[in-house]
Amino acid sequence: MGRIVLDQVSKRFGDVEVIPPLDLTIEDGEFAVFVGPSGCGKSTLLRMIAGLENLTSGGIAIDGMDMTEVPPSKRGLAMVFQSYALYPHMTVRKNIGFPLRMEKMDQAEIDKRVETAARSLNLMDYLDRKPGQLSGGQRQRVAIGRAIVRDPSAFLFDEPLSNLDAALRVGMRLEISEMHERMQTTMIYVTHDQVEAMTMADKIVVLQAGVIEQVGSPLDLYHKPQNVFVAGFIGSPKMNLFTGPEAEKHGAHTIGIRPEHTEVSMTAGQWEGRVGVAEHLGSDTFIHVHDTGLADMVTVRITGDISVKHGDTIYLTPQANQIHKFGAQGLRIE
Amino acid sequence: MSDRKLPRLLQTPAVLLLLIWMLIPLGMTLYFSFIRYVLNNLRRPEWTSPSLSNWRGFGNYEFVLKSKDFVLAIQNSLFIVCSILFLTVILGILIAVLINKAFPGQGIVRVLLISPFFVMPAVNAVLWINMILDPVLGLQGIAVAGVNDMLDSLRQMPVLGSFFSLWPEFEPISFRATQTSAIAVIMMVTWQWTPFAVLIFMTSLQSEDQQQKEAAVLDGAGTWSQFRFLTLPHLGRPIAIVVMIQAIFHLSLYAEIEIVSRGNGNKNLPYLIGEFANNNIGAASATGIFAVILANIVAIFLLRMVGKTLME
Repeated sequence: MGRIVLDQVSKRFGDVEVIPPLDLTIEDGEFAVFVGPSGCGKSTLLRMIAGLENLTSGGIAIDGMDMTEVPPSKRGLAMVFQSYALYPHMTVRKNIGFPLRMEKMDQAEIDKRVETAARSLNLMDYLDRKPGQLSGGQRQRVAIGRAIVRDPSAFLFDEPLSNLDAALRVGMRLEISEMHERMQTTMIYVTHDQVEAMTMADKIVVLQAGVIEQVGSPLDLYHKPQNVFVAGFIGSPKMNLFTGPEAEKHGAHTIGIRPEHTEVSMTAGQWEGRVGVAEHLGSDTFIHVHDTGLADMVTVRITGDISVKHGDTIYLTPQANQIHKFGAQGLRIE
Repeated sequence: MSDRKLPRLLQTPAVLLLLIWMLIPLGMTLYFSFIRYVLNNLRRPEWTSPSLSNWRGFGNYEFVLKSKDFVLAIQNSLFIVCSILFLTVILGILIAVLINKAFPGQGIVRVLLISPFFVMPAVNAVLWINMILDPVLGLQGIAVAGVNDMLDSLRQMPVLGSFFSLWPEFEPISFRATQTSAIAVIMMVTWQWTPFAVLIFMTSLQSEDQQQKEAAVLDGAGTWSQFRFLTLPHLGRPIAIVVMIQAIFHLSLYAEIEIVSRGNGNKNLPYLIGEFANNNIGAASATGIFAVILANIVAIFLLRMVGKTLME
């Protein structure tokens, strides 16, 4: 169980309003990802749910019970920190068993639960080591193990993968997703990496300056961004956004076209430009096109390889049905 | 080979200097401890200059072992050092934890806390024994007299007076007496060295990981559990350092003992050496060798302890 409801939650640090009043519901068993640029308040929001930060106003309910004034340990939540926050003087076994020990659980029961958690996380060989003797990925697994043994109603992850190298990050991403499939427990995951958000989430919450810009499934956000911010934030490489005469032709203040929704030709097309940098990834090629008269730079993405050189003239044609239109307030126009 | 020779050659002066620095005093102490050597003896003037012809073998050691103060000095040395270590570490941790949280006036409080450390040991001893611990003129005497006066006036009360007349008069304690002078030394040195422990523990506390604490809060650890399972292990290394440094310093306490009771009933090994050195250099040297042995035993224990915490 773990349905989390935020009701008009807000946070001020002194005179600075970090999070203006905000409503959000996370359904039981859902994998929700808070994503946004650094400083957008996503970590603060998570810490408020955990109880590590006080609310300035509003209320938090978990499974219908008001948790606003309940101390962190009584909320039934478990959190995984960015720095892992393992206890350096304890072995892995003690680390994982610590929350149970604090509950004054029977030692035999603790051992049993720790072993179960360790087995599911492939930590059996490391139980008697100290955190200092483990690699980054193993430490992360210990931190997850410490969360699992408590059998929480929801897991909170605070940028858990950002200290890992790229290869491990992909692996751990899969493990966490599989863990969610297996346990079907509510998870809230904070990240600034939109790839993590897109690949893992059932529901993405895009935040900017403490304000929720859009809530929706990954593909919702990709296909129907509600505003210019979400359009520019979700998707890699970024969506190209144009204002001015080209946008007015479509009856909008701003139009956006994703790099992958643009046709490229060396001979003819709607827009003409000059090739700047071409990034060859093998499977894809990103071409940065200058001098189109639309924006400083237009990025296009082509599947496969294409031989273009710096300074070549290139023609771009957007797929008409993939053009996103936004009004003067930055909101989406259908 | 040749590329090692040059560095070794360049190191030689420093190593030689260190050896001379250590070995010559130690060698001379050993030499004096095996001969009869006194500063003043009218009947045997030949003993007043060190010479191998005055060889005494282990005679000086026997003399020291049989002297009535030797066992007392060893016991006292250990009692004083261990008590001071225990008290400074406990007080140091408590105060460091207390002032680690931000509060107004923090800077001033910290400076005031450190200040006892800057008082000279002899001045510290004079202040404590005369102004604080003196049974008549010191703070202690005044406080006890005040309590007794208050009890006197309470005894005059109509109804409760009979109850208070059951209470005894309080006696001030003389800290220059045989049984209590070691306690006085422990108090004053603890007062002076607690700031050192506070300083070391405070810097260590400031490097404590806050996310670990938050994780512990979420894991259901209360204030005591956080202290017991996170802060105390975190302080293991600084505690070892404080214990080691202080043990080295306090084995050689002298000024406080001299000022409190002139060694009356409260000698430690350095004080005993000082007494012998008034005339009998041979016996003083033999005591010095015993002091070296004691210091080494303590150091081995301490190194083990430090090593253990460093291994973890």
